[in-house]
Amino acid sequence: MSSNPLLSVTNLETVFHTGEGTVYAVDGVSFDVDQGETVCIVGESGSGKSVTTESITRILQMPPGEIAGGEIIFDGQNVTEMSDDEIRKIRGGRISHVFQNPQSALNPVYTVGAQIREAIQAHQDLSKDAARERAIELLDEVGIPEAASRVDDYPHEFSGGMKQRAIIAMALACEPDLLIADEPTTALDVTIESQILELLMDLQEEFGMSIIFVTHDLGVVAEIADRVIVMYAGKVMERADVYDLYDSPAHPYTRALLNCLPGASGTIEPIGGTLPSVTNPPDGCRFADRCEYAIDDCFVGDQPEFFQATGPDHEVSCIHYHDMYDSSVVLEDTAGEGTATTARETTAGAHSEAGGDRL
Amino acid sequence: MSAETPLLEVRNLKKHYPITKGILKREIGRVRAVDGIDVSVRRGETVGIVGESGCGKSTAATTILQLEKATDGQVLFDGEDVTTFSKRELKRFRRRAQMIFQDPDSSFDPRMSIGESVAEPLYVNGMNDRARRREIVGTLLEKVGLQASDADRYPHEFSGGQKQRIGLARALSVNPDLLVADEPVSALDVSIQAEILSIMQDLQDEFGLGILIISHNLGVIREICDRVGVMYLGQIVEEGPTDEIFTNPQHPYTRALISSIPVPDPHRSRDEVTLSGDVPSPANPPVGCRFHTRCPEIIQPDGYSFEQATWRHLMDYIYRVHDQNIDVESIFEGVVTEQEGYDDIEEVPLEAFETRLREEFEIPPSLADGTAEQTLTDSIELVFAHDLEEASAVLSAEFETVCRQEKPAEIHIEENHRASCHLIEQDTTAVVESPATDD
Amino acid sequence: MATDTSPDRIEIGQIDWEEYETGRFNFDRKTVGSTLSLLAVGLLWLYDFLFVAERHPVLEQDLILFELSLTPNNVDWLFGLTLVALFWYVVVPLYQNKRMTMYYWSKFKQNTAAIWSLGFLAIIFVMGTVGPLIIGHPEPNWGNPNAPPVFFGGEWAHPFGTHRTGEDILEVTITGAQVSLQVGLIATLFSIILASVVGATAAFSGGWIDEVLMRFVDLLMTFPTFFLIVLLVYIYGGSLFLLIVILAFTGWGGTARLVRSEALQRSEESYIQAAEAAGAGKAYIIRRHILPNVSNTIITAATLIIPVMILTEAVLAFLGFGDPNIWSWGRIISDGRNHLATAWWVATIPGIFLFFTVLSFNFLGDALRDALDPRHET
Repeated sequence: MSSNPLLSVTNLETVFHTGEGTVYAVDGVSFDVDQGETVCIVGESGSGKSVTTESITRILQMPPGEIAGGEIIFDGQNVTEMSDDEIRKIRGGRISHVFQNPQSALNPVYTVGAQIREAIQAHQDLSKDAARERAIELLDEVGIPEAASRVDDYPHEFSGGMKQRAIIAMALACEPDLLIADEPTTALDVTIESQILELLMDLQEEFGMSIIFVTHDLGVVAEIADRVIVMYAGKVMERADVYDLYDSPAHPYTRALLNCLPGASGTIEPIGGTLPSVTNPPDGCRFADRCEYAIDDCFVGDQPEFFQATGPDHEVSCIHYHDMYDSSVVLEDTAGEGTATTARETTAGAHSEAGGDRL
Repeated sequence: MSAETPLLEVRNLKKHYPITKGILKREIGRVRAVDGIDVSVRRGETVGIVGESGCGKSTAATTILQLEKATDGQVLFDGEDVTTFSKRELKRFRRRAQMIFQDPDSSFDPRMSIGESVAEPLYVNGMNDRARRREIVGTLLEKVGLQASDADRYPHEFSGGQKQRIGLARALSVNPDLLVADEPVSALDVSIQAEILSIMQDLQDEFGLGILIISHNLGVIREICDRVGVMYLGQIVEEGPTDEIFTNPQHPYTRALISSIPVPDPHRSRDEVTLSGDVPSPANPPVGCRFHTRCPEIIQPDGYSFEQATWRHLMDYIYRVHDQNIDVESIFEGVVTEQEGYDDIEEVPLEAFETRLREEFEIPPSLADGTAEQTLTDSIELVFAHDLEEASAVLSAEFETVCRQEKPAEIHIEENHRASCHLIEQDTTAVVESPATDD
Repeated sequence: MATDTSPDRIEIGQIDWEEYETGRFNFDRKTVGSTLSLLAVGLLWLYDFLFVAERHPVLEQDLILFELSLTPNNVDWLFGLTLVALFWYVVVPLYQNKRMTMYYWSKFKQNTAAIWSLGFLAIIFVMGTVGPLIIGHPEPNWGNPNAPPVFFGGEWAHPFGTHRTGEDILEVTITGAQVSLQVGLIATLFSIILASVVGATAAFSGGWIDEVLMRFVDLLMTFPTFFLIVLLVYIYGGSLFLLIVILAFTGWGGTARLVRSEALQRSEESYIQAAEAAGAGKAYIIRRHILPNVSNTIITAATLIIPVMILTEAVLAFLGFGDPNIWSWGRIISDGRNHLATAWWVATIPGIFLFFTVLSFNFLGDALRDALDPRHET
C-alpha cells in the first residue's frame, strides 16, 4: 500500500444504541484509499458497508449511532477528532456523497439548477450568476444535453438517469478529493447503470478524484473498481486488488457471492442461511455458520486476523490461510472455482459475440 | 410441444391510457403503454419479458391478468379469451393465474399476520374451513423454506427475501397454473436473488407452473427463463429461446441490453454499446422503427458510409430539428457562458454558434463527405436564423433512413426466434418472411 | 431447500375448487355476535317505539341502598346501540390482538397527561352510564334551595350543593355527564361510520363515484348546521335526540376527506393488488384491507371529534336551544351564570367537569395519534 493514502480508516467501530441492545454495525474495519483510486466496498444488506462510509463524514444519525473506536485519517487530518463545524467544511467540499435513490435526493420544490447552485455556494464564495454558470458547466460535464435550458427544470422533469447525473453534478460542485457513492446505480435500469458507471470513470479521469463505491453487485465492482473490500456482518472478509479478487477469490464468502450472481452461469448457488445477529455476534468467524469449508476452529475466538492470500496486496480474514491450515481446501475446490470460471467465460463470450460482430 | 395449446397466449394485446383535458375529459392523446404484443407461455415453461423502465412491461403483466382492462387484443388462457369473461369466470381465472410483486415491503398488509395473508386467496375463493386453510398455509410456508409457526408473525418481522418467499407461498396457495412475477427479485440483494430464483425453479418443477417473469435484469432472465421477449416502447422487438437470444441476438436493442449487463470480470475491456439517452415517451412514440432514435446501428442513407458513431450523432441532431425541439437559445447561451468575448446572445456570430452546436451533438467539425457537409452547414445556418422548418426540409431532402420511414416487419430468423429490425431485412440470406399476422 | 424435508400433509393440487365456488357466505364469531346483539338492541328499540305507548320504567327495583330504575327513551336506545358497537369493534379487537394492544399501550403510556385523562374519562364514563340508573332524574326540592357545597357550609347530603330550585348539583352533574357522553359517543360513532364508508369507497372506487361523494362532502361542509338546529328547535322544540341526529349527519365531512386521502395512499400498495389478483371483490378489499389500515386515522379523528360534539351540545344548551327536560352541563351553566355572586357552585362545578372532559379527550386524541401513527411504526 502507498505510504501516504488520501483516506486511511483504521479499526473503525460504529455502533447503534437501540432498544434491543447495542448493534455492532461496523466492527473493526480498516482500509486505505489512495489518490485517484476507486475502492469498492461489497456486501449484502446489513453488512455495514453503508454505515462505514457514513461514518467517514459522520452523516449517520447520532444518536442512536456512535463512532465507538478507530481512526479515520483524511489527508493527514484525523476526522474522528474534528468538531462538527470542521467536519461540515469537509463534507460536501472535499468529500461528497451520492446516494442510492435519485428520486428522493433532489428537493421537488426547487429547480435542479438552484440546488446545484446551493451546493456550490455552500463552500465557495461565488455570486449568484457565477454559481449559475458553474451549475450549467457541471450539468454539461455530467452529460445533460442542452444544460443551459435544463438548469431551470424541476426534478420531476428529469428522468431517473438524468436525476442521478444531476446529483453527481452536485457532488462534483466543489471538485472533491473523494466521492463516496452509495449504491448509486441500484435503483436504475441496466442501460442507465452502465451510462452512470462510464460517467463516473470519465469524471474520475478528468478530475483525478478518489471514489469509494458501495454496492452489493459484484458485476458492477468488476467494471469500476481498482481495489475491493468485501464486508460481512460488520467485518472485512477480504481486501484485494480487483484482478486478484476475481482471478482467485480467497474468502469462502467472496466465492459464495460470485457463485450466486444470476445470469452468469448455468447454475446459481444460493448462499443459504442468514446474516448472524449484529447485537450479539457469534464467536469465531462471522461467516462460519454459512460457510461450507468451516472447521471447528472457525467457531472459536475472534474474527481471524488477515493472512496473505495470493498476492502482496491481497489479504483475507480466514483461518484456512494461516500456516497451520491448508488454503488449497478453499482455493482448489473444483466446484466453486469451476463455476466461477465458466461464469466468466460464458458471459464474456456471449458479450464479445453480442457487441463485436456488428460494430 | 408446439402442438399442444399454450397455457397462455396473448395476441396483439394493447393497453392505451387516454390523456384527457378539460372538464369534459376530451381525449387529446394516448399513452401507448402496451401496443400490440404477442406472448405465449406453455405449462412448465418460464417466459421472460425484459426491457427498460417505461417500456410497458409491468402494464403488460397487469393487463394480462385483467387487473386492468385491455384496450384491444386477446388473452387466451387454456384456449379461452379472458377479455370476454363474465365476473364469475374471471374469478375462476384469477384463481388459476396468480401474481407476485416487486416490492416485498408493500405487498403484505401490515395489519394481517402473514398466515392470514397467505390464506387470503383461499378465503377469497370460498374456502371457509379455517383449520384446513391453516394446514395449507403451514405446508406452503415450509415449502418456501420457512416454518409453519411463522404464520402468526407479522410482515415487519421478516426480511425482504423472506417476504418474497411468503409472496410465493401466497401465490401458490390456490394451486394456480400460471404465475406472473413482476420484477420478483429486483428489490433484493444479489445473494438473495439467487435464493428466490432457485425456489421458483423448484416450485415450478413440482407444480408444473407456467411462469411469466417481467424484469429489467437480463441476468435474472437468463438464469430462469426458457424463452425471452425483449420489449421496447410497448412492443416486443425480439423474441426467442433464451440461449438463442443471448448467443445470437438479432435486434440492436437486445445487443445493447446484453452488453450493458455488468460482467464479473475486470479483465474485460470496456467496448460495450451504451445506449444514449432515455426511453422516449410512449405518449408520442417515434415513427418508423420505435428504437431508431437511440439505435447505435441505425441504417445510413444510400450512398453514405459515415463512421457509425458520427452517423448516430448526426441523426440525433437531425431528429431534434425535425421534431422542432432543438433548443436554439440554449446553444446561444452556451456560447456566451463558455467562451470569452461574448456578453450577449445578440453578439454571437454564426461560426461560434456552429462550433458550439457541433460540440453539443458531438458532430465532427467537418464531415468527410462533401455533400453531407454542405447540407449540414446549410441547415445549421437556418437553425441559427431560428428557421427550424426550413432546416428540417433541407436535412430530410438529403439524409433519410429507412429506420425512420418504415415500420420494420416481424421476421422469423428461425422457427422460434423472431425480431423486427430493418437490418435483418437487408440481410436477406437467412430470412423467412413473416407469416401474415391477421387472425 | 426445505422443499424436500417437509412431507406433504396436504396435496395442494387436490383441492376441488368447484366445491368452494358455491359457498359464498362466511361468518366468524365476531360478525355473528356483533350482528345479533346490534339487531337485538335495535328490535327492542323498535318494539319500545311502536308498542309501548307510555314512558314507564322497564325495570324498577328497590335495592337496599338505592332504587334502580331504567326508563329508556330514544336517546338511551341509541346509546345502547353505540355501547354494543363500541364493545364489538373496539374492546373485542383490542382483546383479540393482544400483541398489538400491548405494543400500542407501551407507546401510549409514555404520555402521562394522557394516562390521567384516560383515568378521568373512565370515571366520567362510569358516572354517565351507571350513575343515572341509580339516582334517576334530579328532582326539585323547594325546601332546600341554594345550599352551598360541603366544606363551604353545606352538608354531606348535597356534597356539591343545590340549585335555586333545590336540585342536587351532584345529581345534575351526573345527568349532565350522561348527556355529554350520549352526544359525544353517539354522534361521533355515526359520523365516523359515515365518514369511513364514504371516504374509503370514494378513494377505492375512484371515477364518478369519488366525484359525486366528494362534491356532496363539499356541500355538507359549507352547510350552516347551526341555523338548521335553530330552525328545527323553533319548529319542533328542543330535543336531545334531534340534536344528536343532526350532529351525526352533518359532522362527518372533514373526517371523510381525511379517510379518503389516507385510503388513497393505501390503495396504491401491492397488497391491494395482490387481493385483487386473488379474485377479491371491492367490498372485501375495503373491509379487510383499506378500513383496518386507515383505522388509526379513524380512531384518532374520533377521539378529537368527541369533544367538539360535547362542546357543541353545551353551547346550544347554554344558548337555550337544548332540550328543556334534560339537565345538560350547558343548561346548568347557563342557569347558574346569573347567580355567580350568590351561588357560584351552580355554574362552576359542572363547568369544571365540562372543561376537564373536553381537555381529557383532546389529550387522549393527541396521545393516540402519536401512538398509532403508522409513520412511527417499525
